[in-house]
Amino acid sequence: MMSRLLPSNLVLGIAPIVLVIALWQGLVSFGFAPAVLLPPPGFVFSRLLQQLVTLTFQQEIAATLIRLFAGFAIAVVLGVSIGIAAAASPAINAVVRPIVRVLAPLPKVALYPALLLLLGFGHGSKVTLVAADALFPILLSTYYGASTVEQKLIWSAMAAGTPRYEILFKVVLPAAMPSILTGCRIGLVISCIVVFLAEMITSTDGLGHALVTAARTFQAVDMFVPLITISLLGLILNGLLGAVRSYLLRGFPEA
Amino acid sequence: MKAQQNGRGSNDAPHGCENDRLSGRLLAKFVPLNVRASETEDGMTVVPARPSEWMSPVTSQEPASAIIEINHVSQVFQTSARKDHLALSDISLTIEEGAFVSILGPSGCGKSTLLYIVGGFVSPTSGMAKIRGHAITAPGPDRGPVFQEFALFPWKTVLGNVMYGPRQQGVRTAEAEAQSRALIEMVGLKGFENFFPKELSGGMKQRVALARTLAYHPEVLLMDEPFGALDAHTRTRLQNDLLNIWERDRKTVLFVTHSVDEAVFLSDKVVMMSKSPGRIRQVIDIDLPRPRRRNELLLDPQYQKYVVDIERMFDESDEAGAPT
Amino acid sequence: MMMSPAVLTRRAAPVLACIGLLAVWQVASLALKNDSFPTAVEAVRAIPDILGDKESLTNILASLRRMAIGFGVAVLVSIPLGLLMGRSRAIAAFFNPLLMVIYPVPKAALMPIIMLWLGVGDVTKTLVIFLGVSLPVIYHSFEGAKAVEEKMLWSGAAMGLSPAQRLVRIVLPAALPEILTGCRTGLVLALITMITSEMIARQSGAGNILFNALDMGQYDTVFAMIIIVGAMGICLDAIFERVRARLVRWSEPQFDMPLSFS
Repeated sequence: MMSRLLPSNLVLGIAPIVLVIALWQGLVSFGFAPAVLLPPPGFVFSRLLQQLVTLTFQQEIAATLIRLFAGFAIAVVLGVSIGIAAAASPAINAVVRPIVRVLAPLPKVALYPALLLLLGFGHGSKVTLVAADALFPILLSTYYGASTVEQKLIWSAMAAGTPRYEILFKVVLPAAMPSILTGCRIGLVISCIVVFLAEMITSTDGLGHALVTAARTFQAVDMFVPLITISLLGLILNGLLGAVRSYLLRGFPEA
Repeated sequence: MKAQQNGRGSNDAPHGCENDRLSGRLLAKFVPLNVRASETEDGMTVVPARPSEWMSPVTSQEPASAIIEINHVSQVFQTSARKDHLALSDISLTIEEGAFVSILGPSGCGKSTLLYIVGGFVSPTSGMAKIRGHAITAPGPDRGPVFQEFALFPWKTVLGNVMYGPRQQGVRTAEAEAQSRALIEMVGLKGFENFFPKELSGGMKQRVALARTLAYHPEVLLMDEPFGALDAHTRTRLQNDLLNIWERDRKTVLFVTHSVDEAVFLSDKVVMMSKSPGRIRQVIDIDLPRPRRRNELLLDPQYQKYVVDIERMFDESDEAGAPT
Repeated sequence: MMMSPAVLTRRAAPVLACIGLLAVWQVASLALKNDSFPTAVEAVRAIPDILGDKESLTNILASLRRMAIGFGVAVLVSIPLGLLMGRSRAIAAFFNPLLMVIYPVPKAALMPIIMLWLGVGDVTKTLVIFLGVSLPVIYHSFEGAKAVEEKMLWSGAAMGLSPAQRLVRIVLPAALPEILTGCRTGLVLALITMITSEMIARQSGAGNILFNALDMGQYDTVFAMIIIVGAMGICLDAIFERVRARLVRWSEPQFDMPLSFS
């Protein structure tokens, strides 16, 4: 979502980040904030590097990533297929549209307790929550993309002898791809956020759990580490998807 | 060069078909109207049309080599919940094999809609269109469209776009590629095979679109204001090139345009339409020698007379009071 | 006033969808026969108990108040910032990377850290909501302002409007449809952040009621509370959509399915 805010002026862009870190360092150095509450940035980042090489922390990351990818993958499959189907068939549209209208603005995280009751405290409930949250942006942008495919692209393919059912895969899907990938990008960042929150609310492993554990023992440094890790993961995954996107959409203008 | 693909839809594109894009069906109601179009084939004896003349009986001359027949086609679009728009009113037209026929008219006269009906993209509210005696119900590779908006697949390269039709027809990849490369060369785009449409200018895009359609050997070319989005210079060049290509195999061409010069320059026959409701008001045979050379033709008094007469007829119908 | 059948169907469809979803729930719970999965009827019956209970109601209202303040402040700050970013390359270049870095940070996850600094009071919770709402509003205002047609601003300048006047009288209204899209996302986000942060902090509020009931095995209450929160989301979105439609009547009809996420 923020991908188009790419820095045009790098120096100007780095300035506020440097400022924030300097302010952070300043607050600690000049004694405005005790290091217990606000550990100095250098300390936090060295702790981060230190943690990244330990096996336990890597296991936390792995647990988080498994849930994230499982949920995201389910959301992509469901979102793209339902979105295309709703755009292609007026009957499906009539059913899907009101349900989406009701479910999309519903705070999915409120369903989490119910999911815990139904699916237990393991992977299932968290994966489902991630999928439920990432589903709607993907579904909506797929639907939007598929229903705004230029009519004449479809006509051109039909005239060339493409059967009706093949139109969906040969024209609608590729033509809706920019929109679908925008949805996926939003969905991916949401997945990152949601999996972390779900782990914070209740879990025995994962990055979110690491944060909560640190908070219970008032280890400020260890609270920052998982938070920065998940944000970095978000940025990296976002960047990877961006690379996939620019490859897949190399033919599209403004992609 | 950047060309805007969006927002340049033709003016007579049907309204209210958003919900049903994929099936191409249109939610339209039939409103019967007792008005008929007359088909006059008296060449240069151009008479100002009056409503009374529209009521004259249809002169049905059936040429032996008719490829497309349009019989009493009417088209009604629902523009809003209560209002219907009669886009085409009782159109009958016969197109001979190998003829270059232009449909000429002001925007909103339903000329594109008529083309879409022949293409099988839009079903007429009443009446029917036939190709070689078979009713047209769906698009098919015997009728190849070329749109003003180019409608190239942005995710395919030039070669990929041109190869699409042959591949769809089951031609083997190697063969389809060879044919497509030859076609790309013919439309003057050799060297651009691996470019994406976005990297081409408007004129080049339209050349690709033409090649893509020619690639599956349609019997009839349906051209929907193909040069309408191009600048004057490019437009002239593409007109010349289109004529050159047409001279080779003399495909039947149905060409929609609102430019009088273009229609006269290209066609054997110009079908003049009037709007609200869309009707045929005159069919004019263009009796100019071929092959036509633009620089000679522009100086030809006969060409000039066709243009001036047709323009005058449009003016007169405007003065006669535009129908509501 | 009579409504045309088409309008009536459109209005009724979401209600039918709600009824349908509750029916599916009812059937599923009857089929599963799981103690921890009450039927829809049981859950709906438990709603009056929650809303009738003074403490629960105070909790929910306090949550809503924090949400309103957080949302309001975020909108007031974010719209001007977004508009400025959209019209000035330098300002955009200054803030963009910072926002990009903040973007993937789960805002509600900042709760424990902010609690460490500011305690568990209203300020912490409101601040988290503020952070959650700001980004989409800034982003959409930015996109909206960037897309304002240059010629329109030239016309304004030719009429003698100063840069500041142009921002308020041309850019703001022109970008309004996009801004309101951002606000709509922000509103749903405010609710989500509110619930999530209360679930994490477990001190008070609607999210806390949910997990308290879960811990005490009052499964009816859990599901009733989910219905209440869901209804809040749907109602807030519907109300906002009304307001939005009224404010930007002049603009192109917008894509009418809401986009929301946490």
